[in-house]
Amino acid sequence: MKRFRLVLLGLLLLLILAPGGYAGQTGLKIIYVNDFHGYAEPYKATGSGVPLGGIAYLAGAVDRARGKQPCLLLAAGDMTQGHPWANLVRGKSSLEVMNAMRFDAMVAGNHEFDFGPKGLKAMIAQARFPVLGANVKGLAALKPYVIKNLPGVRVAVIGVVTPETPVATHPRNVAGLTFSTPESAVRKYLPELKRRADIIIVLSHLGLQADKELAAKVPGIDVIVGGHSHTKVLQPELVGQTIIVQAWEHAKALGILNLKLKDGKVVEFNGELQEISPAGGAPNCQVQNVVARYQRQIDALLQRTIGETQVDLDGEHVRSGETNLGDFVADAMRQAARAEVAIINGGSIRSSIPRGQITMKDIYAALPFDNYLVGLSLTGAQVKAALEHGVARLDEPAGSFPQVSGLTFTYSRSAPAGDRVKDITVGGRPLEPQREYVVATNDYLVAGGDGYTVFGEALKSAGDYTNQGGTLTSSKLAYNDPGTWMRDLLVAAIQAQKTIAPKSDGRIKAMD
Amino acid sequence: MRVYVNQKPVDLVPGMQVKHALIQAGLMTAIAAGLKVYDEWGHEMGLDGSLAPGMKILVK
Repeated sequence: MKRFRLVLLGLLLLLILAPGGYAGQTGLKIIYVNDFHGYAEPYKATGSGVPLGGIAYLAGAVDRARGKQPCLLLAAGDMTQGHPWANLVRGKSSLEVMNAMRFDAMVAGNHEFDFGPKGLKAMIAQARFPVLGANVKGLAALKPYVIKNLPGVRVAVIGVVTPETPVATHPRNVAGLTFSTPESAVRKYLPELKRRADIIIVLSHLGLQADKELAAKVPGIDVIVGGHSHTKVLQPELVGQTIIVQAWEHAKALGILNLKLKDGKVVEFNGELQEISPAGGAPNCQVQNVVARYQRQIDALLQRTIGETQVDLDGEHVRSGETNLGDFVADAMRQAARAEVAIINGGSIRSSIPRGQITMKDIYAALPFDNYLVGLSLTGAQVKAALEHGVARLDEPAGSFPQVSGLTFTYSRSAPAGDRVKDITVGGRPLEPQREYVVATNDYLVAGGDGYTVFGEALKSAGDYTNQGGTLTSSKLAYNDPGTWMRDLLVAAIQAQKTIAPKSDGRIKAMD
Repeated sequence: MRVYVNQKPVDLVPGMQVKHALIQAGLMTAIAAGLKVYDEWGHEMGLDGSLAPGMKILVK
Protein backbone atom coordinates (compact mmCIF):
# COMPACT_ATOMS: atom_id res chain seq x y z
CA MET A 1 0.00 0.00 0.00
CA LYS A 2 2.83 2.33 0.93
CA ARG A 3 4.52 1.58 -2.38
CA PHE A 4 1.23 2.27 -4.20
CA ARG A 5 0.93 5.69 -2.52
CA LEU A 6 4.52 6.53 -3.43
CA VAL A 7 3.92 5.62 -7.09
CA LEU A 8 0.72 7.66 -7.13
CA LEU A 9 2.53 10.65 -5.60
CA GLY A 10 5.30 10.30 -8.19
CA LEU A 11 2.78 10.27 -11.04
CA LEU A 12 1.02 13.34 -9.70
CA LEU A 13 4.33 15.21 -9.41
CA LEU A 14 5.23 14.20 -12.96
CA LEU A 15 1.95 15.56 -14.29
CA ILE A 16 2.40 18.86 -12.48
CA LEU A 17 6.06 19.41 -13.33
CA ALA A 18 6.20 18.06 -16.90
CA PRO A 19 6.43 20.67 -19.73
CA GLY A 20 2.92 21.61 -20.74
CA GLY A 21 1.63 20.36 -17.46
CA TYR A 22 -1.82 19.11 -16.84
CA ALA A 23 -3.41 21.83 -19.03
CA GLY A 24 -1.37 20.75 -22.20
CA GLN A 25 0.40 24.11 -22.33
CA THR A 26 3.89 24.62 -23.51
CA GLY A 27 6.04 27.26 -25.11
CA LEU A 28 8.17 27.22 -28.23
CA LYS A 29 10.85 29.77 -29.00
CA ILE A 30 11.91 30.21 -32.62
CA ILE A 31 15.17 32.06 -33.15
CA TYR A 32 15.89 32.97 -36.74
CA VAL A 33 18.29 34.68 -39.12
CA ASN A 34 18.38 35.07 -42.88
CA ASP A 35 20.61 36.40 -45.66
CA PHE A 36 23.86 36.40 -43.71
CA HIS A 37 25.85 36.29 -47.01
CA GLY A 38 29.11 35.82 -45.14
CA TYR A 39 29.17 39.29 -43.56
CA ALA A 40 31.11 37.98 -40.61
CA GLU A 41 32.40 41.27 -39.21
CA PRO A 42 30.45 44.34 -38.10
CA TYR A 43 30.28 46.96 -40.82
CA LYS A 44 28.80 50.32 -41.63
CA ALA A 45 26.10 50.02 -44.27
CA THR A 46 25.69 52.77 -46.89
CA GLY A 47 24.36 55.87 -45.20
CA SER A 48 24.83 54.46 -41.71
CA GLY A 49 27.36 55.86 -39.27
CA VAL A 50 27.26 52.96 -36.84
CA PRO A 51 28.76 49.50 -37.39
CA LEU A 52 26.15 46.77 -37.08
CA GLY A 53 26.32 43.02 -37.29
CA GLY A 54 29.14 40.63 -36.56
CA ILE A 55 28.25 36.95 -36.56
CA ALA A 56 30.11 36.33 -33.28
CA TYR A 57 27.95 38.98 -31.61
CA LEU A 58 24.85 37.46 -33.16
CA ALA A 59 25.93 34.07 -31.85
CA GLY A 60 26.31 35.59 -28.39
CA ALA A 61 22.78 36.95 -28.66
CA VAL A 62 21.55 33.47 -29.66
CA ASP A 63 23.22 32.01 -26.58
CA ARG A 64 21.44 34.53 -24.37
CA ALA A 65 18.13 34.03 -26.16
CA ARG A 66 18.10 30.27 -25.71
CA GLY A 67 16.29 29.57 -22.49
CA LYS A 68 15.06 26.42 -20.89
CA GLN A 69 11.97 26.14 -23.04
CA PRO A 70 11.88 24.24 -26.34
CA CYS A 71 13.76 26.23 -28.91
CA LEU A 72 14.67 26.06 -32.60
CA LEU A 73 17.39 28.05 -34.39
CA LEU A 74 16.53 28.44 -38.07
CA ALA A 75 18.22 30.02 -41.10
CA ALA A 76 16.07 31.24 -43.98
CA GLY A 77 18.69 30.97 -46.70
CA ASP A 78 21.53 32.83 -48.45
CA MET A 79 23.96 32.14 -45.64
CA THR A 80 27.01 30.98 -47.60
CA GLN A 81 27.63 33.30 -50.55
CA GLY A 82 28.29 37.02 -51.00
CA HIS A 83 31.15 38.47 -49.00
CA PRO A 84 34.71 37.30 -49.80
CA TRP A 85 34.87 35.81 -46.27
CA ALA A 86 32.41 33.20 -47.55
CA ASN A 87 32.99 33.27 -51.31
CA LEU A 88 36.68 32.53 -51.32
CA VAL A 89 36.16 29.33 -49.34
CA ARG A 90 32.90 28.44 -51.12
CA GLY A 91 30.75 28.79 -48.05
CA LYS A 92 32.79 26.59 -45.69
CA SER A 93 33.30 29.45 -43.26
CA SER A 94 29.57 30.11 -42.93
CA LEU A 95 28.83 26.42 -42.45
CA GLU A 96 31.44 26.05 -39.72
CA VAL A 97 29.99 29.03 -37.87
CA MET A 98 26.47 27.65 -38.26
CA ASN A 99 27.57 24.27 -36.91
CA ALA A 100 29.15 25.98 -33.92
CA MET A 101 25.91 27.87 -33.33
CA ARG A 102 23.91 24.60 -33.50
CA PHE A 103 21.39 25.55 -36.14
CA ASP A 104 18.42 23.19 -36.36
CA ALA A 105 17.63 23.68 -40.05
CA MET A 106 18.28 25.92 -43.02
CA VAL A 107 16.47 26.40 -46.31
CA ALA A 108 18.70 26.68 -49.38
CA GLY A 109 18.53 30.23 -50.66
CA ASN A 110 18.99 31.04 -54.34
CA HIS A 111 22.61 31.96 -53.65
CA GLU A 112 23.32 28.56 -52.09
CA PHE A 113 23.17 27.30 -55.70
CA ASP A 114 25.90 29.69 -56.90
CA PHE A 115 28.70 27.25 -56.22
CA GLY A 116 27.04 24.68 -58.47
CA PRO A 117 25.55 21.30 -57.54
CA LYS A 118 28.91 19.96 -56.30
CA GLY A 119 29.43 23.02 -54.14
CA LEU A 120 25.95 22.73 -52.66
CA LYS A 121 26.36 19.01 -52.01
CA ALA A 122 29.66 19.72 -50.23
CA MET A 123 27.98 22.35 -48.07
CA ILE A 124 25.12 20.03 -47.20
CA ALA A 125 27.63 17.33 -46.27
CA GLN A 126 29.46 19.78 -44.01
CA ALA A 127 26.28 21.01 -42.31
CA ARG A 128 25.30 19.31 -39.07
CA PHE A 129 21.70 20.27 -39.71
CA PRO A 130 19.31 19.53 -42.55
CA VAL A 131 19.32 21.81 -45.58
CA LEU A 132 15.82 22.02 -47.01
CA GLY A 133 14.25 22.63 -50.39
CA ALA A 134 10.83 21.00 -50.81
CA ASN A 135 10.20 22.63 -54.20
CA VAL A 136 13.54 21.57 -55.72
CA LYS A 137 13.83 18.23 -57.49
CA GLY A 138 17.00 16.62 -58.71
CA LEU A 139 19.25 16.96 -55.65
CA ALA A 140 18.67 14.14 -53.17
CA ALA A 141 20.76 15.83 -50.48
CA LEU A 142 18.15 18.59 -50.22
CA LYS A 143 15.40 17.38 -47.91
CA PRO A 144 11.84 18.67 -48.18
CA TYR A 145 11.26 18.92 -44.44
CA VAL A 146 12.44 17.90 -41.01
CA ILE A 147 10.37 16.94 -37.96
CA LYS A 148 11.68 18.08 -34.60
CA ASN A 149 10.32 16.27 -31.54
CA LEU A 150 10.75 18.77 -28.75
CA PRO A 151 9.48 18.40 -25.16
CA GLY A 152 5.74 18.90 -25.35
CA VAL A 153 5.60 19.75 -29.04
CA ARG A 154 6.35 18.23 -32.41
CA VAL A 155 7.43 20.77 -35.04
CA ALA A 156 7.61 20.28 -38.78
CA VAL A 157 9.88 22.61 -40.73
CA ILE A 158 9.44 22.61 -44.51
CA GLY A 159 11.77 24.64 -46.71
CA VAL A 160 10.93 26.45 -49.98
CA VAL A 161 13.17 28.60 -52.18
CA THR A 162 12.28 31.17 -54.80
CA PRO A 163 11.44 29.54 -58.14
CA GLU A 164 13.31 32.45 -59.78
CA THR A 165 16.55 30.74 -58.77
CA PRO A 166 17.24 29.38 -62.28
CA VAL A 167 17.31 32.90 -63.76
CA ALA A 168 19.21 34.33 -60.81
CA THR A 169 22.28 32.14 -61.22
CA HIS A 170 24.35 30.66 -64.03
CA PRO A 171 22.44 27.88 -65.84
CA ARG A 172 25.21 25.36 -65.10
CA ASN A 173 24.50 25.82 -61.38
CA VAL A 174 20.98 24.45 -61.69
CA ALA A 175 21.55 21.89 -64.44
CA GLY A 176 19.33 18.88 -63.82
CA LEU A 177 17.23 20.66 -61.20
CA THR A 178 13.60 21.65 -61.44
CA PHE A 179 11.94 24.25 -59.26
CA SER A 180 8.21 23.95 -58.63
CA THR A 181 6.06 26.61 -57.04
CA PRO A 182 6.29 26.93 -53.27
CA GLU A 183 2.51 26.65 -53.03
CA SER A 184 2.43 23.26 -54.77
CA ALA A 185 5.27 21.93 -52.63
CA VAL A 186 3.71 23.03 -49.35
CA ARG A 187 0.29 21.68 -50.35
CA LYS A 188 1.89 18.38 -51.25
CA TYR A 189 3.52 17.80 -47.87
CA LEU A 190 1.06 19.57 -45.56
CA PRO A 191 -1.39 16.70 -44.98
CA GLU A 192 1.43 14.35 -43.97
CA LEU A 193 3.06 16.98 -41.79
CA LYS A 194 -0.24 17.75 -40.06
CA ARG A 195 -0.45 14.10 -38.99
CA ARG A 196 3.12 14.03 -37.71
CA ALA A 197 3.51 17.45 -36.11
CA ASP A 198 1.64 19.94 -33.96
CA ILE A 199 3.21 23.06 -35.44
CA ILE A 200 4.01 23.67 -39.10
CA ILE A 201 6.81 26.11 -39.92
CA VAL A 202 7.60 27.08 -43.50
CA LEU A 203 11.24 28.11 -43.71
CA SER A 204 11.05 30.30 -46.77
CA HIS A 205 13.49 31.99 -49.11
CA LEU A 206 10.79 33.66 -51.20
CA GLY A 207 10.65 37.27 -50.05
CA LEU A 208 8.03 38.87 -47.82
CA GLN A 209 5.53 39.56 -50.60
CA ALA A 210 5.58 35.90 -51.68
CA ASP A 211 5.37 34.80 -48.02
CA LYS A 212 2.17 36.79 -47.61
CA GLU A 213 0.77 35.31 -50.81
CA LEU A 214 1.65 31.80 -49.67
CA ALA A 215 -0.02 32.37 -46.29
CA ALA A 216 -3.16 33.66 -48.01
CA LYS A 217 -3.34 30.73 -50.44
CA VAL A 218 -2.40 27.84 -48.16
CA PRO A 219 -4.16 27.73 -44.79
CA GLY A 220 -2.71 25.56 -42.08
CA ILE A 221 0.78 27.06 -41.87
CA ASP A 222 1.48 28.25 -38.34
CA VAL A 223 4.66 30.26 -39.00
CA ILE A 224 6.61 31.42 -42.03
CA VAL A 225 10.22 32.29 -41.24
CA GLY A 226 11.32 34.22 -44.29
CA GLY A 227 14.29 35.65 -46.14
CA HIS A 228 15.39 36.80 -49.63
CA SER A 229 13.89 40.30 -49.47
CA HIS A 230 16.19 41.36 -46.58
CA THR A 231 13.19 42.79 -44.76
CA LYS A 232 13.42 44.12 -41.24
CA VAL A 233 10.12 42.85 -39.82
CA LEU A 234 10.24 44.37 -36.37
CA GLN A 235 7.01 42.79 -35.16
CA PRO A 236 5.59 39.56 -36.55
CA GLU A 237 2.94 39.97 -39.22
CA LEU A 238 -0.23 37.93 -39.35
CA VAL A 239 -1.93 36.79 -42.56
CA GLY A 240 -4.99 34.75 -41.70
CA GLN A 241 -3.73 32.51 -38.92
CA THR A 242 -0.14 32.46 -40.22
CA ILE A 243 2.57 34.35 -38.40
CA ILE A 244 5.25 35.78 -40.73
CA VAL A 245 8.69 36.95 -39.64
CA GLN A 246 12.00 37.96 -41.22
CA ALA A 247 15.28 39.19 -39.71
CA TRP A 248 16.75 41.74 -42.13
CA GLU A 249 20.24 40.78 -43.39
CA HIS A 250 23.98 40.38 -42.90
CA ALA A 251 23.84 39.31 -39.21
CA LYS A 252 22.54 42.78 -38.30
CA ALA A 253 19.46 41.38 -36.58
CA LEU A 254 18.36 38.32 -34.66
CA GLY A 255 14.69 37.36 -34.72
CA ILE A 256 12.95 35.84 -31.72
CA LEU A 257 9.40 34.52 -31.89
CA ASN A 258 7.75 33.18 -28.74
CA LEU A 259 4.78 30.89 -29.18
CA LYS A 260 2.49 29.86 -26.39
CA LEU A 261 0.88 26.56 -27.24
CA LYS A 262 -2.12 24.81 -25.78
CA ASP A 263 -2.90 21.27 -26.81
CA GLY A 264 -0.47 21.66 -29.68
CA LYS A 265 -2.02 24.86 -31.07
CA VAL A 266 -0.69 28.41 -31.02
CA VAL A 267 -2.82 30.45 -28.61
CA GLU A 268 -0.58 33.45 -28.19
CA PHE A 269 2.60 34.84 -29.68
CA ASN A 270 4.99 37.73 -29.43
CA GLY A 271 8.22 38.52 -31.17
CA GLU A 272 11.01 40.99 -31.64
CA LEU A 273 14.06 41.74 -33.70
CA GLN A 274 17.23 42.38 -31.75
CA GLU A 275 19.69 44.64 -33.55
CA ILE A 276 23.16 43.13 -33.41
CA SER A 277 26.28 45.19 -32.87
CA PRO A 278 29.52 45.09 -30.90
CA ALA A 279 27.84 47.38 -28.37
CA GLY A 280 24.99 44.95 -27.80
CA GLY A 281 26.60 42.23 -25.73
CA ALA A 282 29.45 39.79 -25.50
CA PRO A 283 30.31 37.72 -28.56
CA ASN A 284 30.42 33.94 -28.64
CA CYS A 285 34.13 33.23 -28.31
CA GLN A 286 34.09 29.98 -30.25
CA VAL A 287 32.45 31.68 -33.22
CA GLN A 288 34.79 34.62 -32.88
CA ASN A 289 37.73 32.23 -33.22
CA VAL A 290 36.21 30.64 -36.33
CA VAL A 291 35.70 34.08 -37.88
CA ALA A 292 39.30 35.07 -37.17
CA ARG A 293 40.71 31.79 -38.47
CA TYR A 294 38.88 32.10 -41.75
CA GLN A 295 39.82 35.76 -42.07
CA ARG A 296 43.48 34.74 -41.85
CA GLN A 297 42.82 32.17 -44.55
CA ILE A 298 41.08 34.77 -46.75
CA ASP A 299 43.97 37.19 -46.26
CA ALA A 300 46.40 34.48 -47.36
CA LEU A 301 44.25 33.64 -50.40
CA LEU A 302 44.17 37.27 -51.43
CA GLN A 303 47.95 37.42 -51.35
CA ARG A 304 48.24 34.38 -53.55
CA THR A 305 49.70 34.88 -57.05
CA ILE A 306 47.19 34.03 -59.76
CA GLY A 307 49.29 34.89 -62.80
CA GLU A 308 51.75 37.30 -64.29
CA THR A 309 51.50 40.35 -66.47
CA GLN A 310 54.39 41.24 -68.72
CA VAL A 311 53.17 44.83 -69.05
CA ASP A 312 51.78 47.47 -66.73
CA LEU A 313 47.98 47.22 -66.68
CA ASP A 314 46.52 50.72 -66.90
CA GLY A 315 43.54 51.22 -64.64
CA GLU A 316 44.21 54.93 -64.23
CA HIS A 317 43.18 56.35 -67.61
CA VAL A 318 40.05 54.25 -68.07
CA ARG A 319 37.80 57.32 -67.77
CA SER A 320 39.28 59.14 -70.74
CA GLY A 321 40.40 56.57 -73.26
CA GLU A 322 41.00 52.95 -74.15
CA THR A 323 43.48 51.14 -71.90
CA ASN A 324 44.96 47.67 -72.02
CA LEU A 325 43.34 46.76 -68.71
CA GLY A 326 39.98 48.05 -69.95
CA ASP A 327 40.41 45.92 -73.07
CA PHE A 328 41.36 42.84 -71.03
CA VAL A 329 38.40 43.16 -68.66
CA ALA A 330 35.96 43.74 -71.53
CA ASP A 331 37.41 40.77 -73.44
CA ALA A 332 37.02 38.51 -70.38
CA MET A 333 33.42 39.57 -69.99
CA ARG A 334 32.60 39.05 -73.64
CA GLN A 335 34.08 35.58 -73.58
CA ALA A 336 32.34 34.60 -70.35
CA ALA A 337 28.97 35.73 -71.69
CA ARG A 338 29.67 34.33 -75.17
CA ALA A 339 28.63 37.71 -76.48
CA GLU A 340 29.51 39.51 -79.69
CA VAL A 341 30.27 42.77 -77.94
CA ALA A 342 31.10 43.95 -74.44
CA ILE A 343 30.59 47.47 -73.13
CA ILE A 344 31.50 48.39 -69.58
CA ASN A 345 31.94 51.67 -67.76
CA GLY A 346 35.53 52.68 -67.21
CA GLY A 347 34.55 53.68 -63.69
CA SER A 348 34.15 50.03 -62.73
CA ILE A 349 37.97 49.76 -62.87
CA ARG A 350 39.57 51.50 -59.90
CA SER A 351 43.30 50.81 -59.95
CA SER A 352 46.26 49.79 -62.10
CA ILE A 353 48.34 46.63 -61.76
CA PRO A 354 52.09 46.94 -62.27
CA ARG A 355 54.09 44.56 -64.44
CA GLY A 356 54.98 41.35 -62.60
CA GLN A 357 53.10 38.90 -60.41
CA ILE A 358 49.34 39.46 -60.13
CA THR A 359 47.70 38.63 -56.82
CA MET A 360 44.02 38.14 -56.16
CA LYS A 361 44.21 41.27 -54.03
CA ASP A 362 45.35 43.24 -57.11
CA ILE A 363 42.22 42.14 -58.96
CA TYR A 364 39.96 42.84 -55.99
CA ALA A 365 41.42 46.35 -55.82
CA ALA A 366 41.05 46.90 -59.56
CA LEU A 367 37.42 45.68 -59.57
CA PRO A 368 36.21 46.31 -56.02
CA PHE A 369 32.47 46.54 -56.71
CA ASP A 370 30.06 43.65 -56.41
CA ASN A 371 29.15 43.83 -60.10
CA TYR A 372 28.07 40.80 -62.06
CA LEU A 373 27.83 39.96 -65.72
CA VAL A 374 24.66 40.42 -67.74
CA GLY A 375 24.19 39.78 -71.47
CA LEU A 376 21.41 41.56 -73.34
CA SER A 377 20.31 41.70 -76.95
CA LEU A 378 20.63 45.22 -78.28
CA THR A 379 20.01 46.56 -81.76
CA GLY A 380 22.89 48.18 -83.57
CA ALA A 381 21.17 51.52 -83.00
CA GLN A 382 21.10 50.84 -79.27
CA VAL A 383 24.78 49.88 -79.28
CA LYS A 384 25.55 53.21 -80.93
CA ALA A 385 23.38 55.00 -78.36
CA ALA A 386 25.34 53.35 -75.57
CA LEU A 387 28.64 54.45 -77.08
CA GLU A 388 27.32 57.98 -77.61
CA HIS A 389 26.43 58.14 -73.93
CA GLY A 390 29.87 56.84 -73.03
CA VAL A 391 31.64 59.67 -74.85
CA ALA A 392 29.09 62.38 -74.06
CA ARG A 393 31.06 63.81 -71.14
CA LEU A 394 34.61 64.56 -72.23
CA ASP A 395 35.26 67.80 -70.39
CA GLU A 396 36.47 65.78 -67.41
CA PRO A 397 37.21 62.09 -66.85
CA ALA A 398 33.88 60.36 -66.32
CA GLY A 399 33.14 56.89 -65.01
CA SER A 400 30.75 56.45 -67.91
CA PHE A 401 33.57 56.41 -70.48
CA PRO A 402 33.31 52.99 -72.13
CA GLN A 403 35.77 50.14 -72.38
CA VAL A 404 34.81 47.73 -75.11
CA SER A 405 35.40 44.36 -76.71
CA GLY A 406 34.33 42.93 -80.03
CA LEU A 407 33.85 46.34 -81.57
CA THR A 408 35.79 49.40 -82.67
CA PHE A 409 34.63 52.96 -83.01
CA THR A 410 35.91 56.46 -83.63
CA TYR A 411 34.56 59.62 -82.09
CA SER A 412 34.91 63.35 -82.53
CA ARG A 413 35.58 65.43 -79.43
CA SER A 414 34.48 68.62 -81.18
CA ALA A 415 31.11 67.27 -82.33
CA PRO A 416 28.09 67.88 -80.06
CA ALA A 417 27.36 65.26 -77.42
CA GLY A 418 25.01 62.66 -78.82
CA ASP A 419 26.52 62.93 -82.29
CA ARG A 420 30.18 62.09 -81.68
CA VAL A 421 30.45 58.41 -82.55
CA LYS A 422 31.43 57.37 -86.08
CA ASP A 423 32.53 54.26 -87.90
CA ILE A 424 31.47 51.45 -85.59
CA THR A 425 32.51 47.95 -86.56
CA VAL A 426 31.52 44.70 -84.87
CA GLY A 427 33.66 41.69 -85.62
CA GLY A 428 35.32 43.72 -88.35
CA ARG A 429 32.04 44.55 -90.13
CA PRO A 430 30.12 47.84 -90.10
CA LEU A 431 27.49 48.01 -87.38
CA GLU A 432 23.99 47.34 -88.69
CA PRO A 433 21.45 49.55 -86.89
CA GLN A 434 18.53 47.14 -87.12
CA ARG A 435 20.41 43.94 -86.40
CA GLU A 436 20.48 42.53 -82.86
CA TYR A 437 23.77 41.93 -81.09
CA VAL A 438 24.39 40.10 -77.83
CA VAL A 439 26.13 42.65 -75.63
CA ALA A 440 27.87 41.77 -72.37
CA THR A 441 27.81 44.41 -69.70
CA ASN A 442 27.43 44.62 -65.94
CA ASP A 443 24.39 44.85 -63.70
CA TYR A 444 25.23 48.43 -62.73
CA LEU A 445 24.84 49.65 -66.29
CA VAL A 446 21.74 47.53 -66.90
CA ALA A 447 20.18 49.20 -63.87
CA GLY A 448 20.96 52.61 -65.35
CA GLY A 449 24.19 53.35 -63.54
CA ASP A 450 26.40 56.18 -64.83
CA GLY A 451 23.35 57.43 -66.72
CA TYR A 452 23.18 54.53 -69.19
CA THR A 453 19.48 54.22 -70.07
CA VAL A 454 19.77 52.19 -73.26
CA PHE A 455 20.06 48.82 -71.50
CA GLY A 456 16.91 49.43 -69.47
CA GLU A 457 15.12 50.57 -72.63
CA ALA A 458 16.12 47.35 -74.35
CA LEU A 459 14.58 45.39 -71.48
CA LYS A 460 11.40 47.44 -71.61
CA SER A 461 11.07 46.86 -75.34
CA ALA A 462 10.90 43.12 -74.62
CA GLY A 463 7.67 43.64 -72.73
CA ASP A 464 6.82 41.68 -69.63
CA TYR A 465 8.78 38.62 -68.76
CA THR A 466 6.99 35.38 -69.52
CA ASN A 467 6.52 32.94 -66.72
CA GLN A 468 7.50 29.48 -67.91
CA GLY A 469 6.95 26.90 -65.21
CA GLY A 470 7.56 29.47 -62.52
CA THR A 471 10.70 30.88 -64.16
CA LEU A 472 10.78 34.35 -65.62
CA THR A 473 12.42 34.62 -69.01
CA SER A 474 12.86 37.40 -71.56
CA SER A 475 13.81 37.36 -75.19
CA LYS A 476 16.30 40.17 -74.49
CA LEU A 477 18.20 38.48 -71.66
CA ALA A 478 21.05 36.37 -73.03
CA TYR A 479 23.11 35.92 -69.87
CA ASN A 480 22.54 36.61 -66.21
CA ASP A 481 24.76 35.42 -63.37
CA PRO A 482 24.17 37.39 -60.16
CA GLY A 483 26.09 34.74 -58.23
CA THR A 484 29.52 35.46 -59.72
CA TRP A 485 31.24 38.78 -59.31
CA MET A 486 33.09 40.15 -62.33
CA ARG A 487 36.35 40.27 -60.41
CA ASP A 488 36.11 36.51 -59.87
CA LEU A 489 35.57 36.05 -63.62
CA LEU A 490 38.71 38.11 -64.20
CA VAL A 491 40.67 36.00 -61.69
CA ALA A 492 39.59 32.88 -63.57
CA ALA A 493 40.59 34.41 -66.91
CA ILE A 494 44.07 35.25 -65.64
CA GLN A 495 44.52 31.87 -63.99
CA ALA A 496 43.59 30.21 -67.28
CA GLN A 497 46.11 32.23 -69.28
CA LYS A 498 48.78 32.31 -66.55
CA THR A 499 50.79 35.01 -68.34
CA ILE A 500 49.16 38.03 -70.00
CA ALA A 501 50.48 40.98 -71.98
CA PRO A 502 47.41 42.92 -73.18
CA LYS A 503 47.89 45.88 -75.47
CA SER A 504 45.55 48.67 -76.39
CA ASP A 505 44.72 47.75 -79.95
CA GLY A 506 42.93 50.83 -81.22
CA ARG A 507 39.36 49.92 -80.45
CA ILE A 508 38.49 53.46 -79.40
CA LYS A 509 39.99 56.29 -81.44
CA ALA A 510 39.48 60.00 -80.99
CA MET A 511 39.55 61.74 -84.35
CA ASP A 512 40.37 65.17 -82.99
CA MET B 1 10.27 42.92 -64.24
CA ARG B 2 8.68 46.21 -63.26
CA VAL B 3 8.74 47.60 -59.75
CA TYR B 4 7.91 51.06 -58.39
CA VAL B 5 10.23 53.35 -56.50
CA ASN B 6 8.46 56.32 -54.91
CA GLN B 7 5.64 55.49 -57.35
CA LYS B 8 7.96 55.74 -60.35
CA PRO B 9 8.19 52.58 -62.51
CA VAL B 10 11.59 50.99 -63.08
CA ASP B 11 12.37 47.93 -65.20
CA LEU B 12 14.86 45.35 -63.98
CA VAL B 13 16.26 41.93 -64.81
CA PRO B 14 15.16 39.02 -62.57
CA GLY B 15 17.63 38.58 -59.74
CA MET B 16 18.16 42.31 -59.39
CA GLN B 17 17.88 43.87 -56.02
CA VAL B 18 16.70 46.96 -54.21
CA LYS B 19 19.96 48.75 -55.00
CA HIS B 20 19.42 48.29 -58.75
CA ALA B 21 15.98 49.86 -58.49
CA LEU B 22 17.50 52.78 -56.61
CA ILE B 23 20.27 53.19 -59.19
CA GLN B 24 17.67 53.41 -61.95
CA ALA B 25 15.60 55.84 -59.94
CA GLY B 26 18.65 57.97 -59.23
CA LEU B 27 18.27 57.60 -55.47
CA MET B 28 21.55 56.05 -54.33
CA THR B 29 22.90 59.44 -53.26
CA ALA B 30 19.84 59.84 -51.06
CA ILE B 31 20.65 56.52 -49.41
CA ALA B 32 24.25 57.60 -48.90
CA ALA B 33 22.85 60.70 -47.21
CA GLY B 34 20.99 58.54 -44.71
CA LEU B 35 17.55 57.92 -46.18
CA LYS B 36 16.25 54.37 -45.98
CA VAL B 37 14.21 52.03 -48.15
CA TYR B 38 10.82 50.72 -47.04
CA ASP B 39 8.39 48.26 -48.56
CA GLU B 40 4.71 49.09 -48.92
CA TRP B 41 4.03 47.61 -45.48
CA GLY B 42 6.47 49.98 -43.83
CA HIS B 43 9.30 47.54 -43.23
CA GLU B 44 12.86 48.68 -43.85
CA MET B 45 14.66 46.69 -46.55
CA GLY B 46 18.34 46.02 -47.13
CA LEU B 47 19.90 47.25 -50.37
CA ASP B 48 20.65 43.66 -51.39
CA GLY B 49 17.05 42.62 -50.85
CA SER B 50 15.23 40.92 -53.68
CA LEU B 51 12.28 42.44 -55.45
CA ALA B 52 9.08 40.92 -56.81
CA PRO B 53 7.20 42.06 -59.92
CA GLY B 54 4.90 44.95 -59.10
CA MET B 55 6.52 45.62 -55.76
CA LYS B 56 6.33 49.18 -54.43
CA ILE B 57 9.20 50.58 -52.41
CA LEU B 58 9.66 53.98 -50.84
CA VAL B 59 12.80 55.94 -50.10
CA LYS B 60 12.36 58.33 -47.19
